Amino acid sequence: MSETRNPAKPESENLPRLVVLLHWLLAASVFFLFVSSWWMLSLPLPSEEFTYRELPFQLHKNIGITLFVAVITMTAMRVRSLLREASSSQGWLQRLAVADHILLYTLLMVCCLSGYMSSSYSGWTTTVWWLVDIPAWSAENDDLNILFSEAHLWSCWVLLGLLLLHIGAAIYHGIGNDGAIDKIFRLR
Amino acid sequence: MKNEIAKANVSWLAVMIMLFGLLLLASHSNELLKQTVIGPGSSADLGMAADCRADELEEEQLSLEECQLMVSNVRIILSSSPRWYRSYQLTLSSLGVAATLFSLVIAFGLINRQSPALRLAILSTALLLIIDVAGFVAAVNTGPLLRAQYLWSLLLWICIHLCMLVAVIRFGQQGDMDS
Repeated sequence: MSETRNPAKPESENLPRLVVLLHWLLAASVFFLFVSSWWMLSLPLPSEEFTYRELPFQLHKNIGITLFVAVITMTAMRVRSLLREASSSQGWLQRLAVADHILLYTLLMVCCLSGYMSSSYSGWTTTVWWLVDIPAWSAENDDLNILFSEAHLWSCWVLLGLLLLHIGAAIYHGIGNDGAIDKIFRLR
Repeated sequence: MKNEIAKANVSWLAVMIMLFGLLLLASHSNELLKQTVIGPGSSADLGMAADCRADELEEEQLSLEECQLMVSNVRIILSSSPRWYRSYQLTLSSLGVAATLFSLVIAFGLINRQSPALRLAILSTALLLIIDVAGFVAAVNTGPLLRAQYLWSLLLWICIHLCMLVAVIRFGQQGDMDS
């Protein structure tokens, strides 16, 4: 394959290597969290005898907490370039792309936070990667647990919708070969 | 012009490998988790009755019947699995995770225009297809309840990887002809 590019196309600004790696780590984590959560909620309710949910739920929380840190890091690294893109974007597709990214980051944070709050009010303890205990927000409270559980559920459904939009856009740019896809695959 | 089309094909292919790779990674990882959690000799296998407390049912928005059937769901998996199935699935899922990670690395190679990437993409996609077929053959040899859970999704993955394999081979041939 040749290294030459079409001179008519603007050369894409490369993303920092950490942002590229975090993007794919987030993508893998989010897909796993969706698939595993649909399955783990079909497991028997927890009791002294039935402990099937223990490992999947702890894993879900561990990945969720790690994901939250990753999203915060990524947002901090990208906030300036996103704001710049937002102010300079002209076409509706560009504006939609910026809005999609901002909404994706926001929703990822909302999903993680609502999940943590729900878990906190459920009375179950959280130990990050079986190493560090995370303090509960408050004592057990069923009403608040249900409220945050609902917020977690609905924010995740909206996130899934936005992800599909994001994937559709990736395929659009992939077929168009406009250099946008290359940015998120470049590790140099 | 011809070169531009070839590059567009490769970009599109990399996106497809990445998208399906991430979905497959989630699927194999979940299977690994499933087989780790649901083992013979656990509470459901010993015939213990479901513990369905009213407050838990309200919290989970479940009916009593659904709560009881959750235990039956686990028993279905255990009673429909032959003895060899759990260790086979654990090995196959681990291989699946490794092969999928390999294919994701290859997708990076395709975009970064590394010359052996297309040949390696043929290898990794063929490997994924073999793993799908191995999973399908194993599922065929389980009971009807497990077959109903696994066969359809495995057939779908076989078709996806077959399409991808043919595409990678064809793009490879075009690349050889262009160079």
